[in-house]
Amino acid sequence: MSLSCSGLSVTYGARKALTNFNLAVAPGEVRALIGPNGSGKSTALQALAGLIRPDEGRADIDGAPIAVMSRRDIARRLAFLPQQPSAPDEMTVGQLVRQGRFAHVGLFRSYRPEDEAAIAWALESTGLSDFAERGLNELSGGERQRAWISAALAQEAQTLLLDEPTSFLDIGYQIEVLDLVHRLSRDRGVSIVMAIHDLNQAMSICDRISLLNHGMLAFDGEPRDLAATGLIEEVFRVKGQFVQIAPHAPPHFDVELARWTSPPS
Amino acid sequence: MSHAPQTVSRAPVWFVPTSVAVAVLSIMLAVFIGVVDIPPADILAALQGHGSAEAKSIILDIRLPRILTGMLAGIHFAVAGLILQMITRNPLADPSIMGVSQGATLAVSLFLLLTVYIDNPGSNTLAELPIAWLPGVGAVGGLAAGAVIYLLAFRQNLGPLRITICGIAVGAVLHAVAIGLIAGWGSARIEILLEWLSGSLYARSWRHVMFLLPFTVVGLSLLPLLRRSLDLLRFDAPVARSFGLGYRFHFSLALALSCSLAASAVGVVGPIIFVGLIVPHLARLLAGRRFTLVLPLTITLGIVVVTLGDLAGRVLGQAEEVPIGVITAIFGVPVLIALLRRVP
Ligand SMILES: Nc1ncnc2c1ncn2[C@@H]1O[C@H](COP(=O)(O)OP(=O)(O)OP(=O)(O)O)[C@@H](O)[C@H]1O
Ligand SMILES: [Mg+2]
Repeated sequence: MSLSCSGLSVTYGARKALTNFNLAVAPGEVRALIGPNGSGKSTALQALAGLIRPDEGRADIDGAPIAVMSRRDIARRLAFLPQQPSAPDEMTVGQLVRQGRFAHVGLFRSYRPEDEAAIAWALESTGLSDFAERGLNELSGGERQRAWISAALAQEAQTLLLDEPTSFLDIGYQIEVLDLVHRLSRDRGVSIVMAIHDLNQAMSICDRISLLNHGMLAFDGEPRDLAATGLIEEVFRVKGQFVQIAPHAPPHFDVELARWTSPPS
Repeated sequence: MSHAPQTVSRAPVWFVPTSVAVAVLSIMLAVFIGVVDIPPADILAALQGHGSAEAKSIILDIRLPRILTGMLAGIHFAVAGLILQMITRNPLADPSIMGVSQGATLAVSLFLLLTVYIDNPGSNTLAELPIAWLPGVGAVGGLAAGAVIYLLAFRQNLGPLRITICGIAVGAVLHAVAIGLIAGWGSARIEILLEWLSGSLYARSWRHVMFLLPFTVVGLSLLPLLRRSLDLLRFDAPVARSFGLGYRFHFSLALALSCSLAASAVGVVGPIIFVGLIVPHLARLLAGRRFTLVLPLTITLGIVVVTLGDLAGRVLGQAEEVPIGVITAIFGVPVLIALLRRVP
């Protein structure tokens, strides 16, 4: 397993945000993490990245416990994209992406050609090659989001944790990011855990899916099996059904809107 | 793979030499202009060790050490302010408002008060005042205040904003205690204290230069080692940590460096306010996106501001010179307001 955790529990003060969370991600696997707002997705990702210390349980990366690894050691193996990161005002896209190489260059080593190549690749993969000189505060929300994805890519880690990477993107870039995720996993064997709100995108991109509800794992398995459980309707409190659109595609969740069923009176 | 894009803006080559030239120019002005008029030829002779005894004494024993002390103090305040603003991510962070100056003030007041009674009870002879101890005492007080703020902040696991507020609160308390002490005391030594409090370069000697120099050398030579961690400390802690930085260690290191620079300077020249606040802003304004320029510009501008400020104080006041701290306070406010209007 490239990334795993068992029995992770996290509390913020008195509030329990994550209870007994388990996860095992194989090399090259894409894992979607879904659940309602406040269900503990970001908390789980932060605990997996070693950014918050769990009250109980442990997380391991490449078989070694994260709790005892140095930050740089972790960063060489695992890159993490926070949900709403903020950057210093005057920073440019290029400078942000450069920070992604810190895990490799450290405090003293100078940037080598392979570092510059990784930065160029990261910018190119997110369609930002022409934006390197632009200030982050001169970007649209989606462009900024892509700059952060790019910084995480520049880290060239074999495990990638993405907290809602597509939430500010237009549909074109959403698909581009999902394609990128797919390519990284298949071409480079990168393991990816991704919190994502679009259920159908989650179903179609991931190999396995984890569903969180009130900080507890409600489902862990293949998308097709999730469709068969009826958990989605229950956890998200919606009405709808899974429909098979294409023979080999994962089932598509078709949500029912109240205004379609109740005509104006 | 296409060609690597230029991810670091190149600085124009003339930028740093120009700022160095301006710094040198301001130092030369400060050497050549003074209350006592000395012909330039005599000054040049004195600098080479020749010339009249009077010129030599004025230039080598009075002006030069005073200017050098100011230079070093300017560098200390400016760099300390820059580091503090970066790591607290607060554009208004400044050692003079965040406890370090106030800690030094309290230590110096306490020290003067105690020595009155310990050294020679009952007498108030100014001649015997232990002025030589002031820099050391002030520096220790400033560092102690820094340590208190640090402990408070990390005990509670406070974020950078809280550290700033914590620093201001601790500073306010220390300041109040020091003022209470001074008010309830009223001995002849208050004059020394007031002179020190206003931030002054009056009568600073080679001894003061030698006191500051080790801090300057160690501090500035640590900066290249801190370059990348300072870059990362400008992010939120979780982001910096996920990029691979041991946040707490590097934050502590940067804070300790900033406090040492500020405390040693406060000890020697008293709290010269606004230099640590304004110089980094000016440097950033001039540097724009060329981050690599911010530090060198902060250093040279720190020199320029203090040197010219002190020169202005000497020339404006003539025999009754205006302390540099008063000059920076008076000119600092409009500059600060102008800067705040430009910064979004
Ligand atoms: N720093 C914090 N301090 C206190 N409580 C927190 C903190 N962060 C999150 N919580 C709480 O923990 C629970 C889980 O939050 P988390 O951010 O993990 O949810 P999420 O699944 O990522 O939600 P979203 O879909 O809105 O991003 C929520 O009830 C939230 O209010
Ligand atoms: Mg979240």
